[in-house]
Amino acid sequence: MSSDPLEIPDVLKPIENLLKGVTIMKPGRVVALLEPSDVVKAYAALKARYGEVGLYFSTLVATDLKDEGKIRIDYYVNVLEKNQYVVLRTHVPRDDPRIESLLKEAPAALPGECEAYDLLGVVFEGNPHLRRAFFVPEEVAEKGVFPLRKDAGV
Amino acid sequence: MTEEVSKVDKVVEIPMTVEIPVGPQHPAVHEPILIKVYAEGEYVVKAEAYTGYNHRGIEKLAEKKSFYQDIFLCGRVCGICNAVHADCYVRALEHILDKEPPPRAKYLRTLAMELERLHSHMLVLAVTAEIVGFDTLFMHMMRDRELIMKAKEIVTGNRVLADYIMVGGVRRDLNSEKIDKLKKILTKVEPRIRYYWRVFEEDVTLNKRLVDVGRLTPVQVTSHGLLGPVARASGVATDSRYHDAYDAYAEVPFRIVTRKEGDCWARSLVRFEEMQVSLEICRYILNHLPEGEAVPDERRLPRRFPEGEAFTTVEAPRGELTYYVMSKGGVNPYRVKIRTPSYNNIINTVPFYVGHTIADVPTILASYDPCISCMERVTVIDLRRGTRKKVSMRDLARG
Amino acid sequence: MGKIPLLKEVVKLIFSKPATIQYPREETPVEPDARGRQYADLSKCIGCSLCMIECPPKAIRMEKIPEGYEVPKRNARKIYPVVDYFKCIYCYRCVTVCPTKAYIVTNEYRLASDAPVNSRELSLSTLKKVSQEPSQGEGEG
Repeated sequence: MSSDPLEIPDVLKPIENLLKGVTIMKPGRVVALLEPSDVVKAYAALKARYGEVGLYFSTLVATDLKDEGKIRIDYYVNVLEKNQYVVLRTHVPRDDPRIESLLKEAPAALPGECEAYDLLGVVFEGNPHLRRAFFVPEEVAEKGVFPLRKDAGV
Repeated sequence: MTEEVSKVDKVVEIPMTVEIPVGPQHPAVHEPILIKVYAEGEYVVKAEAYTGYNHRGIEKLAEKKSFYQDIFLCGRVCGICNAVHADCYVRALEHILDKEPPPRAKYLRTLAMELERLHSHMLVLAVTAEIVGFDTLFMHMMRDRELIMKAKEIVTGNRVLADYIMVGGVRRDLNSEKIDKLKKILTKVEPRIRYYWRVFEEDVTLNKRLVDVGRLTPVQVTSHGLLGPVARASGVATDSRYHDAYDAYAEVPFRIVTRKEGDCWARSLVRFEEMQVSLEICRYILNHLPEGEAVPDERRLPRRFPEGEAFTTVEAPRGELTYYVMSKGGVNPYRVKIRTPSYNNIINTVPFYVGHTIADVPTILASYDPCISCMERVTVIDLRRGTRKKVSMRDLARG
Repeated sequence: MGKIPLLKEVVKLIFSKPATIQYPREETPVEPDARGRQYADLSKCIGCSLCMIECPPKAIRMEKIPEGYEVPKRNARKIYPVVDYFKCIYCYRCVTVCPTKAYIVTNEYRLASDAPVNSRELSLSTLKKVSQEPSQGEGEG
């Protein structure tokens, strides 16, 4: 399922130097594995290559991988010029999930980041709008529970 | 900001309650969303959004139910766009299973989704007309919308909640008698839609309220991730039916509709033209249905799913809807993530209200198509006198 | 101008029939295969409980068939599904997943009521009652 490690798809060429690995997600989305600190740089490089109107930030998915002790964060970017989705995938440790916020480069990331903080506890540094009880009802937020984590008991 | 506080003498809080007035089983999606708008005189200077969503409970619940039960759960996230939610989820499951539905099933799914797009656009255009004060047009459009609901009932078995899509195909088939009935309905609806289109283009009241209100540039659209007719009305040609070419969209006559102006009027006209495209697609499907089986035998479908993940997109009437499904083997999914287009469209556009009058705020909000149908209460706080007065959204929109 | 076409429309509508249907005095036209109330035909049910397992809102419970009904041999455990119509979402998952196609479908949509309703009566009416005399059983609906 993963492509040949030496062959980097065309759409990822601007961020070649930051890649730790490349896989394909069904049905044909290119997944780029990155370090957490490289995500903002990668997005800026893609934006510089394809222009402000050539791509947009679509979705932010955070998944709790309890058994591996990590939280996986996926940034889905739709590159309109190449008609392809690029997934920037990174892992943060579960005990201290912090990552730099993508807000300056992509204001579209705002609701995704707020939701990931409210539901899973991932702290996006540099995002002034992070707040508990953004989505979660007040009784659950007061207990300090992050509902979407596997051990939440909700 | 401190000097402005002393000048500001009215703070307008706008809580909106969401009511989707269609259908027996009610999936109320959003909880009240509060947009606090700070106004100086008549003009808005700052806006903030406070929201509490409801469908996060769905994501956690989806992990406790089996894959097939989740099809019905995901179809109930939204009352208006339920066929597209179910279709997106089922296509993600089919990618994990590496299974493709037969061609006849693909055409039938497209038919259900296009019918849904028709009645959803009619709803939002009627609501736009109502917000500007044009109640008569609202009533007329709702009457004609009933014809589309009847068509949906003929195809799926229910006027609103079409539990129509299953892994491997659809759940019921069409015979020639039903196809004739559907064609008759489409013939009746088409001149009505053309008539309403003319009204929107030429009517003086609508022109004055909608033209040059809520203008968005292409750069603002892509950097803030706006989707659907909102993006297409500003010139950005993005449509999931073109990018992904799922189901039958590679074979039916389909074109992306864009306009250049980017204001509320352009968004309404984009929706009308999309309805025209939908009608053409429905007619093509009814005339060119391929032969074969469309209904899978549900008893033979696999109960345990292999490991894998899939990310699918679909063009809901409001924009691009994405689903992410991850399975670690077993009967229940490990993670289901739903990102609806209203999520992006509403929260990201809050900074764009600045500079408009208060009466324009509901108009702009209705043109983003927030999947809300009944916006109710506005609290006007007069800071000088310290009094609160509840004003309904209609009075606010009438200025 | 936009005003004139609407005027024509208004004049036309004054003289035509109103579009609202005076329910409940008139009937609303419903398709014959719309998804309405469904219940199990116990002469075909084998008591496998698949419908209970698959039901998304868990509206089906299996209950023992009460005394006095003639149970077909294929239903070894002598249980039958009871649908709670207040929880049911009418998705028809039970209908499509039943191995013997034992569900009867109708387009009955007038389901609002004060007291809780379930499918006990309807399902049991598909079975014959055992008569007191030991000869043949008497049919009952």
